Amino acid sequence: MSVGIEHYVLLSMALFCIGLFGVLTRRNALLFLMSVELMLNAANVNLIAFSFYHGNLTGQVFALFTMALAAAEVAVGLGIILVLYRNFRDVDVTVPSTMRW
Amino acid sequence: MMIELLIGVALLGALVTFVAPNRIAGKLAFAISLVPAALSVYMFTAFDGSGNALLADGGVIAFESSTEWIRLGEYTISWFVGLDGISLPLVVLTTVLITLAIVSSWTPIDDRESQFYGLLLFIEANLIGVFTALDFFLWFIFWEAVLIPMYLLIGIWGGPRRKYAAIKFFVYTNVASLVMFGAFVTLVFSLDVTTFALPAITTAMLETGPQAEIFGLGGTSLASAVFLAMFLGFAVKVPIVPFHTWLPDAHVEAPTPASVLLAGVLLKMGTYALLRFNFTMFPEEVISAFAVPIAAIAAISVIYGALLALAQTDLKRVVAYSSVSSMGYVILGLVAFTQFGVGGATFQMVSHGLVSGLMFMAVGVIYNATHTRMLTDMSGLADKMPLAVGVLIAGSFAYMGLPLMSGFAAEYFIFFGSFGSEFLEYAPLITAVAMFGIVIVAGYLLFALQRAVFGPYLLETDYEIGRAPLHDIAPMFVLLAIIIALGVAPELIFDMITDAVDPILENGGEW
Amino acid sequence: MEGIFTYAPAIALLPLAAFVVALCFGNAMPKKGAIAGIFATAGSLGLSLLMLAAVASGEVHHETYYQWAAGETAGHSAAQGIEFTFGILIDPLSALMLVIVSLIALLVHVFSLGYMNAEGETGLPRYYAELGLFTFSMLAFVYADNLLMAFMFFELVGLCSYLLIGFWFRTESAPSAAKKAFLVTRFGDYFFLVGVVAIGATFGTLAFAGDNSFVAQAEAALDGGETLFGFDARTWITITGLLVLGGVIGKSAQFPLQTWLPDAMEGPTTVSALIHAATMVAAGVYLVARMFGYYALSPTALGIIAFVGGFTALFAASMAVVKDDIKQVLAYSTISQYGYMMLGLGVGGYVAGVFHLMNHAFFKALLFLGAGAVIILMHHEQNMWKMGGLKEKAPVTYYTFLAGALALAGIIPFSGFWSKDEVLYDALILGLENQLYLAAYAMGLIAVFFTGFYTFRMVVLTFHGEPRSEAAEDPHDIGWSVKAPLIVLGLLSLTAGIANLAPVGKLLDMDIMFLEMWLDGHYGGLEELTYGAYSDTLAHETGAIAGSEQTTLLVGAALSLGLALSGAGLAWTLYSGSDPAQHTQRLGSVRELLRSNYYQDEFQVWLAEGLTLPVARTADRFDQSVIDGVVDGVSSVSLFGSGWIKRIQTGIVTNYAALIVGGFVGLLVVLGVYGGWFV
Repeated sequence: MSVGIEHYVLLSMALFCIGLFGVLTRRNALLFLMSVELMLNAANVNLIAFSFYHGNLTGQVFALFTMALAAAEVAVGLGIILVLYRNFRDVDVTVPSTMRW
Repeated sequence: MMIELLIGVALLGALVTFVAPNRIAGKLAFAISLVPAALSVYMFTAFDGSGNALLADGGVIAFESSTEWIRLGEYTISWFVGLDGISLPLVVLTTVLITLAIVSSWTPIDDRESQFYGLLLFIEANLIGVFTALDFFLWFIFWEAVLIPMYLLIGIWGGPRRKYAAIKFFVYTNVASLVMFGAFVTLVFSLDVTTFALPAITTAMLETGPQAEIFGLGGTSLASAVFLAMFLGFAVKVPIVPFHTWLPDAHVEAPTPASVLLAGVLLKMGTYALLRFNFTMFPEEVISAFAVPIAAIAAISVIYGALLALAQTDLKRVVAYSSVSSMGYVILGLVAFTQFGVGGATFQMVSHGLVSGLMFMAVGVIYNATHTRMLTDMSGLADKMPLAVGVLIAGSFAYMGLPLMSGFAAEYFIFFGSFGSEFLEYAPLITAVAMFGIVIVAGYLLFALQRAVFGPYLLETDYEIGRAPLHDIAPMFVLLAIIIALGVAPELIFDMITDAVDPILENGGEW
Repeated sequence: MEGIFTYAPAIALLPLAAFVVALCFGNAMPKKGAIAGIFATAGSLGLSLLMLAAVASGEVHHETYYQWAAGETAGHSAAQGIEFTFGILIDPLSALMLVIVSLIALLVHVFSLGYMNAEGETGLPRYYAELGLFTFSMLAFVYADNLLMAFMFFELVGLCSYLLIGFWFRTESAPSAAKKAFLVTRFGDYFFLVGVVAIGATFGTLAFAGDNSFVAQAEAALDGGETLFGFDARTWITITGLLVLGGVIGKSAQFPLQTWLPDAMEGPTTVSALIHAATMVAAGVYLVARMFGYYALSPTALGIIAFVGGFTALFAASMAVVKDDIKQVLAYSTISQYGYMMLGLGVGGYVAGVFHLMNHAFFKALLFLGAGAVIILMHHEQNMWKMGGLKEKAPVTYYTFLAGALALAGIIPFSGFWSKDEVLYDALILGLENQLYLAAYAMGLIAVFFTGFYTFRMVVLTFHGEPRSEAAEDPHDIGWSVKAPLIVLGLLSLTAGIANLAPVGKLLDMDIMFLEMWLDGHYGGLEELTYGAYSDTLAHETGAIAGSEQTTLLVGAALSLGLALSGAGLAWTLYSGSDPAQHTQRLGSVRELLRSNYYQDEFQVWLAEGLTLPVARTADRFDQSVIDGVVDGVSSVSLFGSGWIKRIQTGIVTNYAALIVGGFVGLLVVLGVYGGWFV
């Protein structure tokens, strides 16, 4: 049985939903970051799958870009989490809520 | 290249002043501002333009310069500047008034001087831009950019309620600009042009009128709607009753030099734009439909503004409301649509710039010494500061339209032009009503003088009230000299004004 | 003689130079600027006399010097373009007036040496500078050749009177009086300016003289039966004429705008002399004379002038009767006398009006300067009840003052008699034909009685009887600079009547009516600006008592002289004696009415403070609450709205993520519905 494009899309959707679920329910900033990574990777899967499906490389190139972006994001994200921890002795994202009205 | 030089010197000067040490900023800004002042006076003497800059009638735009700047689809935006008889006097007014305002800030401004003077020079560059730009987008950029330094001047160096006043000023005039901008761009898209150059738009508008339908409107009805929207947009800037309430607040809170510029030049942006856009670009049949209501509002502005001034006890508010009244005359002259009417309105822009500048300076000098502007607190200042009070009295009489001072010439031209106007229905009646303003203006100014400077000296202060320093007084004498010169010889500028006004009146515009 | 006109501009420019000199260098000069003023006005007087001589030799000067502004007129006017110019018109009328003004100005300057300098006043350079500017404005007004130039200097005259009345600005009352003077006259000037604008817009010219004068244009419009501004020509001429008259009523202190003048006594007495005799107040009446040709086209306007004049003459005279302050009495007499001039002009008596203007200038300047001398004598006391017995102590002052008083009361042979009699005679002969004017005549005639009464009440209380205060017992010395002007003016008051002895001339059939011939262009003048031309335009029908001019003349003269003498006699019997009583008590409630000036001041103060100010305050409240309220309301509404919306900004990242997702899903659904995915 060959692996059709719909399988990749289903995988990507599942990954994305897991990530989304994590973002919406977790309060730990580290888990938050991981969930975001999951969602990014879901997008990557999509990009590469469709790239393969259409037979050109643009999607793969974009996937590379996304990975670089993800790496940068993790760096920034971890930095933020470190600062969070220093200031609040905690990495719960609901605690720092001063940036509101 | 003269205009680029003018704007460039002011911009560069603003940058230099911004980074200069506070200690020397005032003197430095003064020295820099002398360059544009001298340049503009030179341009005044070397002026070789004729006709109206917007109307292609064989006239010559002076110091014209044009380069393509941005292409937006099929539309072209260009750096297009030039002067005619209407804009040149206003440019000279701007440069001279800025120089004098800088000198008059030496005493009252003692905080963040380099930023203050930098902003003054920055505002100068933009004001020159407003009066010289002949491309709509270029003009609009300058028009909006003027707001920023003025907002900061009021918001940082202003009085106790400066935040309220600055935000009110900024938001109110900005919303009005939005209305005007939307209306004008609508008009341009309906016309058969691919440029934002004002002369081309004017020609297209007068010769063919709107070609496309927008929002289901076309032809005369579209033109009328745009006329009205633009009039409302500019009415806030002028300001015309009932859009005037930002003005007294801004004036009262603004530091003296900002008040001088606000009343002296910024208000003229509104009337200048009305003349340039509403009364130049639209054919007579569109304007005439609005003539009587506009003239009525002008007369109401005159009388109502004067009555409001009468009720004030703050000297600065008195002068601020009287500006509303004086601007009413300008509108009346414009809508009369005769040579003396429109020419007189332009003359009044210059004259009121000088006179109101003088008044605000005089009030400022008195405030510097007494630390109060309330008429109820002051009394008998004439003995303490004879020169400043002398100038205040002279300025008051100039404001009242004393003959042989520029105010009289301006008002007389407007009255004469509007009384006999055939364009405006009920012209004699409306003119006569508006003219009654000259009685009320005398009433509140004389009342204020009697309270503030005459009578026995009663002010109890724990500080000495002495004569104002020379550099406070000197700018006022310069202004007074110009006011008297223009009053004795109005043809100094009236000739070039009428030369630029005539084509407007001849352009009937038949679609 | 023609060459002398080259120097005509200098007549006004000399005092202007004195203004500049006194203002800039006055403090460094001996006499604080007075010298410059005296030389300048003397120069003006000399030049004016030369002009007078030149006009007498048949020359007239009419030249445009300077174009102030020019442009196109709108369609209404006959002419295409209009030029606003400064020009000089020297004809018999203006030459005469130039001499009067510069003479009085010179005498006032000289008198000021004694009145101001000797009294140790401060601010003298300012005083002399303002006097110079005042003289300049008035002289330029007098020889203006067009209505706009006249208006401009008319306004400057107003400015100078403001400055001079408020000279003692450290008091409460002087600045207030100055403000009132300027405001009330400004109210009149508003109508004047509307009139100037209207005449300019109608006829396209503002020139007084020449083929293209607005008078000639108006005549042409009248002949052509044109419609001007929607009115027929005569109605429009009447309207514009009356508008200009507004300025005259303000400046010449006619009813109902006379209230500023008594208050103007707050200024130095010398200034009062100048204002009343030759400058400010005279300007109004002079303007009517200057453009008499225009008024002659409108009998209605002239009728109104006559009635305003007659009524003012009587009205003001009645108030003068009860005043205690010597300057107040003189102030009301001025209003009353200018009423006579208006009456004279209004009934077509152009010569009579101008004649009275001239005589009044001399005797009123004399009376004011005399009052100034009395005030010096009395150590600055102005209440007549504190005076008395000054006759022996200051004979020069007394006799010159008496000469002025006799002229004012109109006692033969002093100058006032001749001119007042001529005014009344002109009113009488017109009234005999047109009964309406008899009422104006009657008011003028009754005022003669009052004039005689208050004049002699003043003289008797001031100079006769016993001294009633320490100051009166020991008067201050007065110097020659005070006495000399008094003597000059005293002689003029006695003899100026010779200029036009109309009754004598008519009775004896002699050609001695020099002023009439002078103003009729007999010696030289512009044809359209002569008495004869005006009379032709006017074409009044006149009547006579018993069909005889001589009888009418004698009856009229006897009536006015008799009334003047009886008024004077009544005053004499009531107030002479060593300790006169204050008979005004007997008038009861009328006294209060008169002393309060018929409550006109109260009415006008109410107009300003009781009506205009509350209206202004209401407007201010309306502005602050309604108009600004709407503006602030818009910002409040947006602030309130954003106050609610901002609450979705919780600061919790999870909520933001949920919002993003929700928004995305919502958008997707909307797009889907509209895109037809679910169909």
